[in-house]
Amino acid sequence: MLRAKPRYDGVVGKRMGRGEDNGGAAGGSRRGFLTIGFGAVSVGLAGAALGPALAMVAHPLGNTTTSGSEGFVPVGGESSFGEEPTKVDIFADRVDAWNRVVQVKVGSAWVRAQGDELVAFSTVCPHLGCGIDYVPDQKKFLCACHNSWFSIEGGVETGPSPRGMDALETKVDENLVQIRYQRFKQGIEGKEPIA
Amino acid sequence: MRGDGKFFDTLVDAVEDRLGLITTWESFRDRDVHGGVRLRHVFPAVIMYLFVQQAVLGTVLATYYSPSATDAWASTAYVQDTVTMGWFVRGLHYHGTSVLIVVIGLWLAQMVLHRAYRAPREVTWWAGIGLLGIGLALGLTGNPLPWDQAGYWGIQVELSIAEQTPGGEIIRTLVQGGSEAGNLSILRLYALHIFVLPGAFAGLLWLVSRQRSQHGLPAPDGLSDADAHKATQRYFPAQAFLDVLAMAAVGGLVVAMTMQSHGAELLGPADPTENFQARPEWYFLFLYKLRMFMEGPMEPIATMVIPGAAVTFLVVAPFVDRVAGKVGRFVVLAGMAVLMVGTIGLTAYGIQSDAADEEFQKSVEAAEASALEARAYAKMGVVPLGGPAVFFNDPEYRTKMLYKEHCQGCHALGGVGGDEGPSLEDYSSRQWVSALIRDANTPRFFGNTKMKGEMDAYPEEDLPAEQLDAVVEYLMQLQGDTEVDAALAKKGATLWEDELECNACHEVEPGEEGDGPNLHGHGSQLWVARVIRDSSQGDLFGDYAAMPKFADKLSEDDINALAAFVVKQRGQAPLEVVPAAAAEPAPVAEDPEPGEGAAPESEEGEEPNPEEGDAPQPEETAGEEPAAAADAEVAADAAPEPEPEPAPKAKPKPKAKPKPAAPKADRANGRAVYMKKCKSCHGADGKGQTTFGKKLELASITPMGLSKIKKAVMRGVPGTKMKSYKNKLSAQEIDDVSAFAKSL
Repeated sequence: MLRAKPRYDGVVGKRMGRGEDNGGAAGGSRRGFLTIGFGAVSVGLAGAALGPALAMVAHPLGNTTTSGSEGFVPVGGESSFGEEPTKVDIFADRVDAWNRVVQVKVGSAWVRAQGDELVAFSTVCPHLGCGIDYVPDQKKFLCACHNSWFSIEGGVETGPSPRGMDALETKVDENLVQIRYQRFKQGIEGKEPIA
Repeated sequence: MRGDGKFFDTLVDAVEDRLGLITTWESFRDRDVHGGVRLRHVFPAVIMYLFVQQAVLGTVLATYYSPSATDAWASTAYVQDTVTMGWFVRGLHYHGTSVLIVVIGLWLAQMVLHRAYRAPREVTWWAGIGLLGIGLALGLTGNPLPWDQAGYWGIQVELSIAEQTPGGEIIRTLVQGGSEAGNLSILRLYALHIFVLPGAFAGLLWLVSRQRSQHGLPAPDGLSDADAHKATQRYFPAQAFLDVLAMAAVGGLVVAMTMQSHGAELLGPADPTENFQARPEWYFLFLYKLRMFMEGPMEPIATMVIPGAAVTFLVVAPFVDRVAGKVGRFVVLAGMAVLMVGTIGLTAYGIQSDAADEEFQKSVEAAEASALEARAYAKMGVVPLGGPAVFFNDPEYRTKMLYKEHCQGCHALGGVGGDEGPSLEDYSSRQWVSALIRDANTPRFFGNTKMKGEMDAYPEEDLPAEQLDAVVEYLMQLQGDTEVDAALAKKGATLWEDELECNACHEVEPGEEGDGPNLHGHGSQLWVARVIRDSSQGDLFGDYAAMPKFADKLSEDDINALAAFVVKQRGQAPLEVVPAAAAEPAPVAEDPEPGEGAAPESEEGEEPNPEEGDAPQPEETAGEEPAAAADAEVAADAAPEPEPEPAPKAKPKPKAKPKPAAPKADRANGRAVYMKKCKSCHGADGKGQTTFGKKLELASITPMGLSKIKKAVMRGVPGTKMKSYKNKLSAQEIDDVSAFAKSL
């Protein structure tokens, strides 16, 4: 019966230093070929599996995985809005990866009459995304998270918000007010929609 | 780093002192391959490679897969059809299991062939058997996870088999997480698949590696110890290169299988109601076939006795090998041969007989077609109600939902719905129309509308079956049916015009307004769409309209889809020819308000119809009516009846104040005609206090003069129940009755 357990049987040192050619001079080119071949095939094998795997993991970087509320959503009759801001919730169908959820709340907006037109402001604070509230006593908007105050026209007055409240596209169709709900990048001066 | 790299050396040494990575690598690299490099030694390395690859791919798949009965299928479809390279990764993972099972089987065969299972390496051998079992179990638990038809039915059958073994019911309930398959089943299978089984697999792999360190590789047969020792090589690089080449070959095979089959199959969502012909994965096909050879009471032999004996044989093979010189060795080889030939033979037989089974092939095609449909819908997103909800994306589903929301309350269909309006079951088919003509006043048609009583019933004695058929055929022609019996329709048209006088109420020329709906194109999609938009148009149901106007409630697309849906009901459920009954298509006059239980309103409440331009309609102009009429109206308004009443027929119905008889008219005859034709609506005394209510009050029109009355009798009064009597009464009779009415 054979017993092969000589892991350190004299040929191999206790511990070889780096760079030592542990094969010796003889057969060096064959060893080199085998070593390189081993490395190359191993890398290829790993790549064959890891490449697609990483592509799959990275899928959300280049693709939309959630969507919804791209179009105009009716929020109420024209007459129901006045100078005093009214908060409306926006409902839309949403696609969340493989799910489609019908008529869920996707966001909300403050709507008020400004001059002879209606304006709608997203309730998402341009600073860090908290919810903006209206303070009737002062006729101003406030994001209480970090004390950003906005005028009733939506302009930033005090606090850390880098820009005024984000206006949303609105239109009135046969007395029905409709809003196109969007989200915008936070923390920057410009108003850039998130794709 | 500076100078000659001393710093770097120091860093490496420091790390090495702590982790010993280099030492570990070197001891791995320098292991002895006893007797020299051999291809036969590659198996454990390939198994290790496949296992690691499966683990990596499985982990990535787990970042998308959602293990619930609601989401499993949809998330797998998402991986398969939407995620970048998702199909490829899933395919590698799926085929990887198949290949892993084959490689483990080959390794076991190799061990037998080279007697590598003998002492002291029995543990390696047993570990190999264990790995094979776990590999099969990984397949068994992995295949149901997509919760598609194949996965769902596969696990159903497997659990049913398990259930028939002693204690099997408990096993089934435990694996399934209850008495039926569902969320818990998926989670249990998933937990087994991703934690328990891979853990056990890794443990056995560690054991194999440990055994190799303990005992080394077996020297090839026929070599003496000394020769073997002389031929010993280090593991690296020759054997390592061979190992990695074998891995590459196997990996290439997995990739090729994945490309060839475009990943792994994904059938439609699990549907417990469908007759899906379940087949096990190929690596269980031999067991499936074995069972088919032993049905009934023999089944346990196939399920337990034979597999149990085979496993037992494998486990004890190292000991059998030692028995009686070469006899034991022969028994093991013979046993292995039987096992392999049996397994391969049954598998091949299974594949071949399925391929030759037309029924099975048909069901496979059907399942694949249904899968394509489901997966196409899935791209729109699945409402989170489970895989089958994917069919909610079917365009007709939306229409059905609209129907349910807006129509079903009044119109029955498919045995569900109210009877406030006509049933739409088999709508506007020959049978439907026939039944309506026989008696429109049943709840199936207008019996619960204001139109009740507006259209006479036409029982068999008034309208023999063959005449009815002719009229119906004519109506089908009006409807636009292209397959009408022209001769019969012509006969019907004649009956319509002359004998039955349907045209007294129903116009058939486009746009013409009559008492009843204009029947040009009735029941066609365009017509139905118009009714849905606004049924109170003059050439539809006019003042009798009870349906809400949907023109501003639904989009044009939705209205058209609904109309198409309603029209589609035609001919779906053939009805028996309905026996005679009385029928009056009476449009219900209701305000188009969607209010609940809207009671029919009095006609005054509605807009006056644009009548024939000449004269204001006496009935409609409330303001002109004398006090008596006004009283009647008040009464009617005050007591709205639950049952919609048909609108009044405008027949002159005189009241008090007898006036001088009209010249040349025969009042006695006029009275007789009145009593026969007019009394039912206008009352014997012309006060109109009949069931039709206020509108029938004649007092308001008698002052208008004989010519107006005559005109009303001749032409009828559009928008009311007052029909034209031009064709029903002779000129003399009209004169007479008008005169009588004038006198009331």
